[in-house]
Amino acid sequence: MSETTNKKMSRRKIFVIVWLLIIALLLVGIIVSGTPTSHTESVKEVMRDGVLHDINQISVFGLLVNPAIISAYIVTALLLTAAVFVRIFAIPRFKRVPDKFQSVIEWMVGFFSNMADKNSSHKPRFVGAYIFSVGAYVFFGTLFELLGVQFPTTSENTILLPAPLADINAAIALGFTSYLIILFAGIIRGPRKTLGVLKDFSLPISMSFRLFGALLSGLLVNELVYYYYALSFVVPVLVGVLFTLLHALIQTYVLATLVSIFYGEAVEPRPYKNKIKKEGNRI
Amino acid sequence: MPPLNIDITQILLHVLNLVILVGGLTLILYRPVTDFLRKRRESFAEEERLNAETKAENERLKTEYETKLKSADEEIKARRAEAEREIADTASRYMDDAKVKADAIIKSAEQEAEARKVHVLESAQTEIGEMVLSATQKLLADSASPDKDLKLYDEFIKQTKRPAEKVSKSSKNSKGSKSSKGSK
Repeated sequence: MSETTNKKMSRRKIFVIVWLLIIALLLVGIIVSGTPTSHTESVKEVMRDGVLHDINQISVFGLLVNPAIISAYIVTALLLTAAVFVRIFAIPRFKRVPDKFQSVIEWMVGFFSNMADKNSSHKPRFVGAYIFSVGAYVFFGTLFELLGVQFPTTSENTILLPAPLADINAAIALGFTSYLIILFAGIIRGPRKTLGVLKDFSLPISMSFRLFGALLSGLLVNELVYYYYALSFVVPVLVGVLFTLLHALIQTYVLATLVSIFYGEAVEPRPYKNKIKKEGNRI
Repeated sequence: MPPLNIDITQILLHVLNLVILVGGLTLILYRPVTDFLRKRRESFAEEERLNAETKAENERLKTEYETKLKSADEEIKARRAEAEREIADTASRYMDDAKVKADAIIKSAEQEAEARKVHVLESAQTEIGEMVLSATQKLLADSASPDKDLKLYDEFIKQTKRPAEKVSKSSKNSKGSKSSKGSK
């Protein structure tokens, strides 16, 4: 290598080092000297509002609702729009040997369908469809907060729309809907059509609060991280992935599994009781 | 504010949202895809069933052909044995015919030889008679003397021996030919 080439390389290295130093200095200056904020709320208020949603509410046709309602309907609209596109443009072109996109759609539907079939004594089509829909809702609803959609509130602030299930009302709605499906399935298809599933009344409460607590914990950590200006660099990437993406996956899987297992238990025939009864009749 | 801001209106709004979502996704996406998957699974099962049937049919045909081949081999063996038996029968029949013909030939040869023998004997007797006659005529013609008589007797005896030897030779020859034919 010639001498001139060496000189060029060393100059380039010096330039890169200087450039990085300037960036680092500027960042330190911003963090140290910055006055974050024009926070109009204390951290206590932010955390409380993150849990209870009682300050920043949104008016919909005169009805005051929590921001999670708006999030929920936006997620539903997005999911249904995507489903319509898939229905119109993809499903009619499905082939016997699937391509990548078809494989993904087949895998998603097949995963929930198989889960419902596996945990039940018969093949419940509706439960498969239900856990598929709810799974999609929990997963994409949790990821929705990453979009950072702002929405004006009645308190003249804008609010970052949270995940739908960060609102306890959404978690209760989901838990009780799941419970009602299991309850009615137990009544209609269960052994001797008893109300045996009523004894599992703790199910909707545990389902609701577990889901709410799991998602809320992520939300609170995120709120805390974003509240402090100094933590707004790099940390949100890790925290966001940990508490949003993983939560979305885990909670989707847990909810779908729980619903299918409890449904399977509710409709499971009890052969040993019938056997005892038959033996009693013989005697 | 109610405890934990739990509000029945908002819960119902969420339930409504869930109902819309579940119904919409079920009708628009879940059922079409599961129907497609079910039909494809059924078509695979049908193909598998057809393949199994074809395989079973092939196995059956193979067994059938193998049985047929085996029976064909047995048939070939049976026919060969039958042909060999027929050949043996024909050969023995030819042999019998030949034997009969040979016997007939021998018999006719013996008859012919016998006839010749009789003929030779008859002709010898005729010659002997003629010789006797000529000798008698000579005797009658010449004057008789004892020496001449003796000479005449000697000559007569000599002449009578010759035709007898001829006859015995000819009979030996005929016996020899008969035995050679018989051996043949």
